Amino acid sequence: MSVKDQKLNRRAMLLGAVLLVGGAAALTRFSRSSTAKSARGPAFSADQFALLEQVTEVIIPVTDTPGAIGAGVPVFIRDLLLNWGSEQSRAEIVQVLEAIEQRTWSKHGSGFLELPDSQRLELMRAYDEQSVTGHDPAYRKFKQLVLLGYYHSEIGATQELRFELVPGAWRSCLPLNEVGRASAFWT
Amino acid sequence: MDFDAIVVGSGISGGWVAKELCERGLRTLMIERGRHVNHRKDYLDFSPPWELPNRGLVPEDEIREHYPIQGTSYAFNEGTKQFWVKDSEHPYSTPEDRAFHWIRGYHLGGRSLTWARQTYRFSDIDFSANKKDGHGVDWPIRYADISPWYDRVERFAGISGASEGLEQLPDGQFLQPMELNCAERAFKERLEKEHPTRRVTIGRCANLSEPTEEHIKLGRGPCQLRSVCDRGCGYGAYFSTLSSTLPAAQRTGNLTVITDTIVESLDYDHAKRRVSGVRVIDSKTKQRRSYQARVVFVNGSTIPTAQILLASRSEYFPDGLANRSGAVGRYLMDHVQGVGATGHMPGFLDRYYYGRRPTGIYIPRYANVTEDNSAQFVRGYGFQGKGERPSWDRGIDQIGVGVDLKQGLRDPGPWQMVLFGFTEMLPRADNRVTLHPSRKDQWGIPLVHIDCTHGENDLKLAAQAKQDALDMLTAAGCENVRSLFPHVSPPGSTVHEMGTARMGRDPETSVLNAHNQAHDVPNLFITDGACMASSGCANPSLTYMALSARAANHAADRLASGEL
Repeated sequence: MSVKDQKLNRRAMLLGAVLLVGGAAALTRFSRSSTAKSARGPAFSADQFALLEQVTEVIIPVTDTPGAIGAGVPVFIRDLLLNWGSEQSRAEIVQVLEAIEQRTWSKHGSGFLELPDSQRLELMRAYDEQSVTGHDPAYRKFKQLVLLGYYHSEIGATQELRFELVPGAWRSCLPLNEVGRASAFWT
Repeated sequence: MDFDAIVVGSGISGGWVAKELCERGLRTLMIERGRHVNHRKDYLDFSPPWELPNRGLVPEDEIREHYPIQGTSYAFNEGTKQFWVKDSEHPYSTPEDRAFHWIRGYHLGGRSLTWARQTYRFSDIDFSANKKDGHGVDWPIRYADISPWYDRVERFAGISGASEGLEQLPDGQFLQPMELNCAERAFKERLEKEHPTRRVTIGRCANLSEPTEEHIKLGRGPCQLRSVCDRGCGYGAYFSTLSSTLPAAQRTGNLTVITDTIVESLDYDHAKRRVSGVRVIDSKTKQRRSYQARVVFVNGSTIPTAQILLASRSEYFPDGLANRSGAVGRYLMDHVQGVGATGHMPGFLDRYYYGRRPTGIYIPRYANVTEDNSAQFVRGYGFQGKGERPSWDRGIDQIGVGVDLKQGLRDPGPWQMVLFGFTEMLPRADNRVTLHPSRKDQWGIPLVHIDCTHGENDLKLAAQAKQDALDMLTAAGCENVRSLFPHVSPPGSTVHEMGTARMGRDPETSVLNAHNQAHDVPNLFITDGACMASSGCANPSLTYMALSARAANHAADRLASGEL
């Protein structure tokens, strides 16, 4: 077993953890033909999907490259939860969105979507810090899907980071500024 | 006779046997239980992450239902899923409290497509270990017997690596080594200074750093540093049956390959002391038939090879073919895994690398070689590892969102070193593959029952390897050094199964002689992992290749001289 593979194994383990039991989410107009083969309904209600879009965009905003929405992260997560996620994973991701919404209401007396950008960022910063520090498994999975969705999208991999499908050579020790940015690949 | 030779299995060892026999002019039938795989055409190696439907992830419910064991493998993902069996379709049994992870793929090429390509020679320290400390039976060969065959298979397979002049890890016929990166060079320098008895070298691997003319003639090209090897390589840049031995065998015109054909048992003709037929089942139609040949090589991999022998009962071999010794199915070994550590290597923040090198570093065995641990345990362990700068995935466990997170992940993270121990496992009679007394698979073949545990010495080695990994990272200046695993993995997890039809000098205690020929059945040869009399601590595939080439040529010689 090579070390690169051990690294990949880590990814498999991260995404393999299943921790909560939950029910199916409600059916909504976000049902698509490509998801029709799934016996289950879509992962998110319309409201939840709108929230997902804005939360992921706060985590990865537009800079000189597109943000989460521009890179298709919300759609990726929606499809992934249909095609990949167990009911438990779906419940966990919905649970994270609900927790964010609840937190917004208790702190600001309104929903996340009604907040101005600066307050969204402030709220997500605090929630992220608390969840990462507290090792919240549901939030960990959520953040992982957001980052996977972004950095393994074509935009995230090739515009924000660096990705060569066929590197063609191994240069073992170069000045960082010659190589440029981090490789989007896991290794 | 339908054929001169039959080879059961198309993995690393079966491919080698077929190539050598065909090149010796023998009409050879290769029987593969799984489906046909087209080299290049069936691989997913040109799909970037965003073109895989689930970005590399296999659906969670599918893993739970169909791949609960295979899904534990590091190499199991959306890009490689086609190369692993469905556990739901290919069950085996274990005692309730003793897990064994049997990781496998049923298709043309077998695990030669998904192997980690690490290629190390065994040394005389390995071949004489059983005799020296009394565990297991003495190997009937020594390094000098196999050394020219290592040369032969290395040249053909194409092994990149660095010569080190070590007694415990003999050098070979290497292509240009891949270089250590900046952090690994510092790690090597510091570790070797702190521990002059230990060595750090680049991982020797079956990737063509520079193809020779022989490789190019077979349609193989240089490694492109993509590191998607286990999806199959369209460049044919790593050794697999499909990239290498199969085309070599096919160009002789002597090879016939049949797939979707399960070998159930072998017929034995006592009057002639020979295997007289190979009984097969068409996996799709379930029709049974048999094939005949002058010589039969069983290369089904360690566990199925034992299964086939055990299922081949006759009046003269009531406990299974070639099993007068009772050793068939016993002495199952793996390498102990679930031992490793990681640490942060300070500095070198202005340095990086380009390309995805398909190998890591290797620390050859030093325990009971250059250092004396004989008061604690026998045998030893080696380490694979690497230094790297983590990419975006480190953001998952870091506090931070927004522009700060995004900007921070644009640069690679600080250097991280990681080491994984590979520990030798002693041959013990109780570690055993048997046929289940009642349960059968969908073809009516008795399931294998695998009962295997780590022994006291195995676990002592693993515990020391775990401590050494921590100590070596610390000695090399790493910070925040920590163990990666709470406990060792179940046997089988390293996917180095060995030992169920061992070689030996005495027919009363072993199954195969010095040429991998069954002591009691001269036209039966076994050159997969089943033949191993001890496990060493190095990845074993290169040794299977060398033994396969050697045994195949021995058989061809004996056929030519009329002795077989």
